[in-house]
Amino acid sequence: MAEKKQFPFAEEVALPPELEGWEEMYPPQRLFSEDRAEWEKRHFWYQDKIHASDPMYPLDDIFQEAWQIALSQFTTRVFCIPPAQGVAQRMLGCYMYICAVEPPPPEVIGKKAELFGKRVPYTFENYLKQFEVWLERFQKLGRDMENLNIPEKLPEFVPDDEVVPMPKGITPGAEVMENFNTIISMIFKSWQYHFQYLNLAYLAYLMFVDTAGKLFPGIKESTIGKMVAGAEVSMFRPEEELCRLSRLAAAKNSVKDILKGSGSAEEKMNALNKTEDGKAWLGEIEKIKDPWFFVSCGSGWYHHEGSWITKMDVPFSYIESYIQRLENGDKIERNFDEISEERERIVKEYRALIKSEDDLKSFDDAYKVVRSIYRYAEDHLFWVEHWLHTIWFAKIRQFGKLLVNQNVLKKTDDIFLFNRFEIPMILEDMVTAWALGEGAPPRKMWQEKAEKRAKILEAAEKWNPVPALGIPPEEISEPFTLMLWGVTTDKVDEWLKGTGVVDESVTELKGFASSAGKAEGPARVLKVLGDVVKLQPGEIMVTPSTNPSWAPVFTKIKGAVTDIGGLTSHAAIVSREYGLPSVTGTGVATTIIKTGDIIRLDGSTGVVTIVKRA
Amino acid sequence: MPEQWIYWFKEVGQELNNILGKKCANLGELTKAGFHVPPGFALGVQAYERFMKETEAEKRLLEFFNNFHADAEAVEDTTKFDEAAEVIRGIVESINMPSDMEETVRKYYAELCKETGDENTFVATRSAGPSSHPGQYETYLNISGAEDVVRHIIRVWSSTFNTRSIISRARLNLPLHYDPIGVAVLSMVDAKAAGVILTVNPVNGDESKVALEAGYGVGEAVVSGNVTPDRYLIDKVTLEIDEKVISDKKAEYAYNPETKEMEWKELPQEKRNVPCLEDDEIIELTKIAKKVEAHFGCLQDIEFSISMSLPFPDNIFLVQARPESIWGKKKKESVLGKKSGFELLFEKATTPVKLKID
Repeated sequence: MAEKKQFPFAEEVALPPELEGWEEMYPPQRLFSEDRAEWEKRHFWYQDKIHASDPMYPLDDIFQEAWQIALSQFTTRVFCIPPAQGVAQRMLGCYMYICAVEPPPPEVIGKKAELFGKRVPYTFENYLKQFEVWLERFQKLGRDMENLNIPEKLPEFVPDDEVVPMPKGITPGAEVMENFNTIISMIFKSWQYHFQYLNLAYLAYLMFVDTAGKLFPGIKESTIGKMVAGAEVSMFRPEEELCRLSRLAAAKNSVKDILKGSGSAEEKMNALNKTEDGKAWLGEIEKIKDPWFFVSCGSGWYHHEGSWITKMDVPFSYIESYIQRLENGDKIERNFDEISEERERIVKEYRALIKSEDDLKSFDDAYKVVRSIYRYAEDHLFWVEHWLHTIWFAKIRQFGKLLVNQNVLKKTDDIFLFNRFEIPMILEDMVTAWALGEGAPPRKMWQEKAEKRAKILEAAEKWNPVPALGIPPEEISEPFTLMLWGVTTDKVDEWLKGTGVVDESVTELKGFASSAGKAEGPARVLKVLGDVVKLQPGEIMVTPSTNPSWAPVFTKIKGAVTDIGGLTSHAAIVSREYGLPSVTGTGVATTIIKTGDIIRLDGSTGVVTIVKRA
Repeated sequence: MPEQWIYWFKEVGQELNNILGKKCANLGELTKAGFHVPPGFALGVQAYERFMKETEAEKRLLEFFNNFHADAEAVEDTTKFDEAAEVIRGIVESINMPSDMEETVRKYYAELCKETGDENTFVATRSAGPSSHPGQYETYLNISGAEDVVRHIIRVWSSTFNTRSIISRARLNLPLHYDPIGVAVLSMVDAKAAGVILTVNPVNGDESKVALEAGYGVGEAVVSGNVTPDRYLIDKVTLEIDEKVISDKKAEYAYNPETKEMEWKELPQEKRNVPCLEDDEIIELTKIAKKVEAHFGCLQDIEFSISMSLPFPDNIFLVQARPESIWGKKKKESVLGKKSGFELLFEKATTPVKLKID
């Protein structure tokens, strides 16, 4: 493919006609634009399949807007990683493309280097203490968001106590408008916190990979992953709670029988509520559900994914399979001690191979740095993408419900079809109609727009967006681009090869060797977590990417293959913890592999082979 | 009682390096340390000395070399060395071992036969110089019967008079007529495969890897370079096979019972391109190599044989271990320099990653 060194520019991409009008959904600064064309064409854009693998609902786009600012500023303005700049975003045909911004002028690099030297070492040294403060701050933010009051309906008349003895001054209508502005500020703020330590955590990891690679030229990244992985992070807590609840249930026959029986989670909860043991067991869920059931059933990035707490069928199906395993005499908990022991053994044995005193000192210090902060990469994920987003979605749905009850929108979730700048208009229209008294109509156009946009997004779902736009760069120093999105020479080559239609004759895929071991078996392609109920024990999971709420799935499968994600992606980490082979970041696994294909994966070499088509 | 000149491997160790020759001393050390080494015995340099001095050998060789003039640095004199080697090897190999020595060797061999349970058990007679001269002297495989064993011990001694040994001594200004070495008499492994392990990646000096090469049959196929072996790279810590290159192994070096000779035998097509070792054998060999390295405290160059008749893991034998000669000698220099974690971080932060798109 030597002749194809570049991808099309944004304006050269032909969009399907059904997408017409897609641009209206997103604020103008998020679109490729003629006035910025020169700058845009100098950059290499690729579709962000990690955070935006699906067409973007306008309101879900808010997280993307927020991270564009937050991620970038911690690199450019806060910790000042010298040659790196931010990550920019553009929407095209409802999909999001991102790019690592070209390096700054040399004098800026110099200034940043000075600040980096002043700020970063201190932060590393004090990370553990600082994380406690971070967590406290973050939890307060979440509680404040939970406490925002959104009425189900605007009252016909404001209640007495808001008028006498003294008028409150503002009405529930005005409060709704204010609260929406507040929640927008809050979500932006939470994403500021999200990146407080993440850039440094990633940089530390990349540094350790380099250091270990210099000492042991043949060391594999999967081994390095084992050396830095932590087991004691918040991300694993929901799963631990499931194990605990399963054990409690397994110990009480009446509870166990209901949980193992047929019916929905709701029916089971109703049945449990009729017995003393059942009530006690539900009480245990009640005690821990906030925060530990505030786990997205997907990535946390889309409103339609739902969370455990809103889709109790998901945790109930896990509990059911854990009970089954307990009855078979299997152990359900992951052995964190064993994982830590294995980590320590690997580090100790590699360390013993270092012969030079200087190297030993450097290695120890490098390891200390990466271990000090690396756990943040897992900790923040639970608190931001899962816990806080769960609160956010619930709260936004209260606004949606109110709009339906005030006859402005038809369905609660239609609110997600409008972007954050449009919703204040709609709310203002709603409050105006309420304030004007009886008979004043809000605009009908909101419902028409919602209908039209739903269709556009449906069409976008069927479209296969190009993987990248523009000319690949010669070098990259932006840590997220390297680590999270795994943009490497190989990756870009693969995209170049795959710019056309997906080739069905492909029988071998290459990705990151992220968890050692081999597995062969039938593939199960899971695009959304809801499909998890179809998963059969012994299958190899093939998925765009995974996240903490998927963790219990790993007890059922033989191995994991993902489209997206490097060596520290969630799937990679959990696979290593479970001792399952995994290959991550294949780019195209969910497109090429079909459910039922017999596949073989080698987590030591990063190769996935399709042995037999279904 | 004259000085001892013959030993069982299980009785000796590295302390007898100068008396037995390195190979024998190391094999003894391995045996004593509990590694799986084929049973056998060693003749020390003392045995060579007795043979040379107590027979007319030394006298005859001295006479010969007094009249021998050739320049070891001159290419045109090579044929002179060739002719001398032939004459001398003829002399040495025609001389009998002193009778008490022969009797003792026969006794040791008989006991070895008892230990292996085979009458006329097969052995290899291998040279063992006090310093390592890989490939200089000769080794004879699949020797059976006391008489042949005695004869081949003399042939190993006589191999100190092969052309390359004489030239090498002449270059170093050493006496030409005398070069005491030890001889290992080692029970043969009925090898389905054999090869070499280095406890370092020879390509880049990465000491966290073990490099393993193996071919079918006895180890000579790999060591001589006549067959391209299967190659493996295994991580010492994770015990994962990082690289596996299965080569087209055209032939094996094997015993032909009809001619009673070791011969090159072409392999059938279906056998050539399949791995000659199982993965669990590779992992086990890696574990053993790590232990050998730890025992001797330096990088090792190990030869192994896998028996075709014994079950795993009893089928794995070590037939040689010596210090690895290239990376082991290099002074280990710092590759990182003395840096703090932050300095390393800064280095990483300021060094962009190159993409090579072509």
